[in-house]
Amino acid sequence: MKPSLAYRLTIWIGVVLLLVWSLGPVYWTVASAVTPSADFSIRPIHFFPQNFTLDHFERLLGINVDRIGGVEVWKQFRGALFNSIVTALAATILCVAMSALGGYAFTRLDFPGRRVLFIAVVATLAIPGYAVLIPLYRLMIGAHMVDTYLGVTLIYISAFLPLSLWLMRSVFESLPVSLEEAAQIDGAGRLYIFFRIVLPLVGPGLTAAAILTFLGAWGQYLVPLIFSPTVTKPLTVLIPEFATKNFIDYGLITAAGSIAIVIPALVVIFLNRYLVTGLLAGSVK
Amino acid sequence: MRALILSTVALATLAVAAPALADDAKPLAGKSITVLLPSPQAPNIAADFEKDTGIHVDLQTLSWDDIRPKLVTALIAGTAPADVTEFDWSWTGQFAAADWYLPLNDVIDKDTVADIGVAKIFTVNGNLLGVPYTNDFRVMLVNKKHFADAGITKMPTTLDELVADAKQIKAKGITQYPIGLPLSPTEGASTSWYLLTKAEGGDLFDKDWKPLFLTPDSAGYKAMALELQLLKDGLVDPASTGLKDSQINDNYFAKGLVSIMISGEPGRLGQFNDPKQSQVAGQVAAILVPTASGQTRSYGLPEALGVPRVSQNQDAAIAFVKWFTSKHFQIENYANGVLPTRTSALDELNKAGKLASGDVLVAQSKTVEPLFEQGTPTWYPQFSSAVNTAINAVAKGQITVDQAMKNIADATQKAMTQ
Amino acid sequence: MTAVAFQGTDARRRAAGNGDALLGVLMVAPIVVTMVALVFFPLAQTVWDSLHRINPMEPGTPFIGAANYTNMLSDAQLGQSWVNTFIYVAIAVSVETIVGVLGAALINQVRRGRQWLLAAVVLPWALPGVVNAVIWMWIYQPGAGLLNGILTVFGLPFENHVWFNDRTSALIAVSVVHIWRMLPLTIVVVLAAMQSIPGHLYEAARIDGASRPQMFFAITLPLVRGAIAVAMTNATVAAFNLFDEAWVLAGASLDTRPVLTQIYLETFQNLHFSYGMALSLVVTIVSLLVSLVFVWRVYHTTRFE
Repeated sequence: MKPSLAYRLTIWIGVVLLLVWSLGPVYWTVASAVTPSADFSIRPIHFFPQNFTLDHFERLLGINVDRIGGVEVWKQFRGALFNSIVTALAATILCVAMSALGGYAFTRLDFPGRRVLFIAVVATLAIPGYAVLIPLYRLMIGAHMVDTYLGVTLIYISAFLPLSLWLMRSVFESLPVSLEEAAQIDGAGRLYIFFRIVLPLVGPGLTAAAILTFLGAWGQYLVPLIFSPTVTKPLTVLIPEFATKNFIDYGLITAAGSIAIVIPALVVIFLNRYLVTGLLAGSVK
Repeated sequence: MRALILSTVALATLAVAAPALADDAKPLAGKSITVLLPSPQAPNIAADFEKDTGIHVDLQTLSWDDIRPKLVTALIAGTAPADVTEFDWSWTGQFAAADWYLPLNDVIDKDTVADIGVAKIFTVNGNLLGVPYTNDFRVMLVNKKHFADAGITKMPTTLDELVADAKQIKAKGITQYPIGLPLSPTEGASTSWYLLTKAEGGDLFDKDWKPLFLTPDSAGYKAMALELQLLKDGLVDPASTGLKDSQINDNYFAKGLVSIMISGEPGRLGQFNDPKQSQVAGQVAAILVPTASGQTRSYGLPEALGVPRVSQNQDAAIAFVKWFTSKHFQIENYANGVLPTRTSALDELNKAGKLASGDVLVAQSKTVEPLFEQGTPTWYPQFSSAVNTAINAVAKGQITVDQAMKNIADATQKAMTQ
Repeated sequence: MTAVAFQGTDARRRAAGNGDALLGVLMVAPIVVTMVALVFFPLAQTVWDSLHRINPMEPGTPFIGAANYTNMLSDAQLGQSWVNTFIYVAIAVSVETIVGVLGAALINQVRRGRQWLLAAVVLPWALPGVVNAVIWMWIYQPGAGLLNGILTVFGLPFENHVWFNDRTSALIAVSVVHIWRMLPLTIVVVLAAMQSIPGHLYEAARIDGASRPQMFFAITLPLVRGAIAVAMTNATVAAFNLFDEAWVLAGASLDTRPVLTQIYLETFQNLHFSYGMALSLVVTIVSLLVSLVFVWRVYHTTRFE
């Protein structure tokens, strides 16, 4: 069926709208970050910066040390970046592994309490951080896990497990049982079936779960604010400290925002390839 | 043989004692503390303190609004957020009732307490819970050049004169919205209203905590009505409903877009007259707060350093508090915009001519009263929030002044009984 | 011969069944341990604490029963924040679901450059929420913001317009930022499900002469029903937990204040800890109930396997 012109036009308009909606604000932030502050109020508004400056970035990355409370900016920045990567990666790997195993078990294996347990875990999606924040803090203090990579990673896992699990279960559910039954008749054990037959087929699901978890953990603010105050402080907590709320300098804020955009953008672009390949492998004609 | 043993023991004892004797000047050397202060702070604090005392400092700075939740979460869990923390005047009621901070009466000498007038704001039930380090009180900051360009030669001393002057500045086209007044639901809006209430000749509560701002002829009511009128007359920018006091200071006043900061912070004079940080350097001065009666009044909002009871390094923490609030350091830190709390430091700076608008500041500081005679109540944050929420709603035209005052009174009542 | 084969299979199945149960328990053990320790136990503690008065400014933690909960009924500010939250939920969930499904369908149709399109679409969600809020704060800024700038270029009188001075535009402005962040989640979840739909279903429909819209409604939508349920639930819960956007854009101002801001103020400003905990429990239950309604309607023919 050759797509009609009207159809193709609709698709293209839709794509353009989607791109402008998604990328427009990001472009504007980066453009503002390289525009001199004096040009901000020029009317009529210019969509491309008329003058180019790196002043905001210079200030942010510590040329003017006095402004930023006198601590070595680059060292802090590097440390925070490392912390963000470590905690987000660790949380992702563990969370996806646990939800793959668990999701399969909830779908194909019959064990007592299966239904109740699943609903209970997924229902925790609805619990806002505040509901458990203070008791959780007391718990972490007791276990000496405040400001440790392990502590905050565990919290991230507990936060993203419900969604990840639900996603993996939906994916497993949509796989035809016949494949596994055939293997069972041939004498394959459950674990063998899981690792050799089922898992390779759910690549897209795993990738989606991984992306969701990684980005979710990367963007956390409130949890690390409380549980990662110094040594394990991530980027999301560090950046607002730079552009102090007492001095809303939009040049500085857009510069900090631009830096915060780069990492997730890179992640999305690179992980995306795996996502798309996975999707195309099981794709629709 | 015995002699040998004896002398060995003696030498050994000396060997152990000698370093201690040598370190007598720095008894706490080698210890390590964490200090939590609002940003920005001077760049060399940690280094200088370590040089003077040998104590290592991990200085953490956070934006002021983020400090309180951090303190509260840690303290409620029974741990110290840091060995020395920021302690704002508005937290004294709450934190004293929760008994989170170490009384410092025994370790801070009487001369220091006498030298720091605002220390009484941090003394609750006889316990000195914090040593004030920055002496924020309110004074009016004006752009002298704008006044001069508008042909105004005498600075206003009454509120009516202030409004008339502002209208004249606007009429001459010098600034579109001459008066800087925060109207967002933030602390700055509350403190501006408190100042205007004082300026209208009244107070917030009587000694039994009954609200004094409910009737249309009360000072608080008139202050709120005045704010609304200024907005309606086009003297205050409508965007102020989304602006904090700090934003108006940095993005409007420092850029010459506002001529008058009603609730001005004296510590900012250095910043405003520094060509590197402001576009109106040399044009800014402080004037005494104009009032309805012509007799100036003001109140203090100082910040202090406190040591949480659960800190594991109390001695070293106290040493830091003393060092930071010493006369020598306060004079040095003034260059960073921190107005000294010690009268002796203020006098010395003024005599050396280093205190911008020094005479006005010294005069104003003599009229500074605490906002609450009886001490900051434990429900202050709830009260302040009700105030600035009401101001915000009035400014947006969502409720009347009458309704606003009633809302504030109701919220206060609820806060007091909870 | 067949009978023997069947018997053998049954026996093996039964044996495998018992092994299944043990394996199942082992496979979900890590999940259970993590969730119990980090969520259920603290949650239980929160429930217990909400029945007491925990206020660091007052001595002791006496049992007060349901007093925290009854106090909620006379809390005017709380009532206002509930109204705001429901408005956010209504706007956010409806827009995210409709536009999300359409967006997923759109991307599903694109062959070349799909990976770049996806990358672009997911980016808003990938950014930390605090950064998003700041980006849009800059766009909404009265003097130098992009929104007013664009509208002025078109000749509309929006010079220096303060979007947050009017309640309706303020609520919509906050919702837009929230939707901007959450929309990609719906798209990704629904798209993943769309990708799993076997191609032969469409082939068969095409042979039968179905048009594209018909195929969409008859084949695609029903088969991604599960994913839509997941997405809607997440959207609902996220909208109930809206905090960063409203806080950065409008602070504590009452006309846009969501419930979570109210909880934050009660807990960290007023130090009424147990009241705050009681409130968070109520929010949890309400958002669960509302999501359950969605799941029920979308899923009502699917039985748990």
